[in-house]
Amino acid sequence: MAAFDTGWMERWQALVNQDRVTKIIGRHLTTDVLLAFGETAYVVSFVGGTIPKISSDIGPESTYVFALRGPAETWAKFVQPIPPPMYNDIWAMAHPLHGRLQIEGDVKVMWQNLRAFTWTLDLMRNVQE
Amino acid sequence: MANIEPITGRYVRVPYEGEDYRVFYEEAGQGIPLVCLHTAGTDTREWRHQLCDTDINSDFRVIALDLPRHGKSIPPAGWWKEEYKLTAQFYSEFLMAFCKELELDNPVIMGSSMGGNICLHLARNCSSDLRALIAIEACDYSPGWWLDWLWNPHVHGGEACATSVYGLMAPQSPEEYRRETWWYYAQSGPGIFKGDLYFYSVDHDFRAMAENLPGDIPIYFMTGVYDFACTPEMTEKTAKKVKNSECIIMEEIGHFPMCENPVTFKKYLMPVLAKILQTS
Repeated sequence: MAAFDTGWMERWQALVNQDRVTKIIGRHLTTDVLLAFGETAYVVSFVGGTIPKISSDIGPESTYVFALRGPAETWAKFVQPIPPPMYNDIWAMAHPLHGRLQIEGDVKVMWQNLRAFTWTLDLMRNVQE
Repeated sequence: MANIEPITGRYVRVPYEGEDYRVFYEEAGQGIPLVCLHTAGTDTREWRHQLCDTDINSDFRVIALDLPRHGKSIPPAGWWKEEYKLTAQFYSEFLMAFCKELELDNPVIMGSSMGGNICLHLARNCSSDLRALIAIEACDYSPGWWLDWLWNPHVHGGEACATSVYGLMAPQSPEEYRRETWWYYAQSGPGIFKGDLYFYSVDHDFRAMAENLPGDIPIYFMTGVYDFACTPEMTEKTAKKVKNSECIIMEEIGHFPMCENPVTFKKYLMPVLAKILQTS
């Protein structure tokens, strides 16, 4: 199962920052997102389609615009090279019929940037364990 | 020599409830009329592979139409003063009006997603004028999609609508075709995808009626395993209630079989078309 530790997140960050397509479609993706893999959470800062910072020090002073929270087992299926049915997409996992992922906060920002944001999450499938 | 596809596109005027609708449709082939229905917020282009497939169009007159407000079918006058909400009544009656204008003799109706769900309504109200129904990605109730974010001036409708359905397709489907389907979704008019989803998730609630369908024509349910809006379990549960139905679950494909992976879809579709041919 994917570790989702700081090393794993840094490898994903590097993939996003090196990605040519993210630079094209993510020019307006500037926001702070909390990603929670079970008990392990990070605030990912996007600026113009890059990720300059990922904070693992989550506490009372942490701020973010919206959050995606799901069990680590759910995320582990999402990041498989070929994810199984119902786990291949954040909306698939979050749809009320399934409820495997919680999306909370100012989700308008997410919908405004849905194409670029989901593209960056799909890059998680390329992270080397 | 030019490589021209066999598809012909035409316009037909369809009178319905005092309106004179100008409807675009494409067709190819000859034989049993096979009317193909696009999914929410898109148009006939979803069926381009089946229209061009000689294994299909040699026995079937394959016809795909753009519903009013979709593709090249312009909206009725006054659309700018209304919120568009597709209803089961308009959808089913308009389809039959279209078939009547083209003088189609007991056509087969094949639709996906909302085009699959409407098959249940057609089975209830219009079966005497139809030959068979192929209900793709269909079930008796498919909630959760009538979302304000899909029509909101703060959100790019094309990108948001298209991306919201991208995960409905299977990772095994060719990326080129998945992105093409995304492209179709990025091109619908403002509020049209959401308006179609009013039918898909709100007006279509067939849970109490599925068991009462007459069963006088066959209904073939076909659902892909990656469809998270209408899961295989939801289709199987519906098919169990419907007399004279068959339920086919398709591996390694999602919510848009005809356009996300026409090769895989064809493996499942051809036996269904063969059965219809045998009984015609």
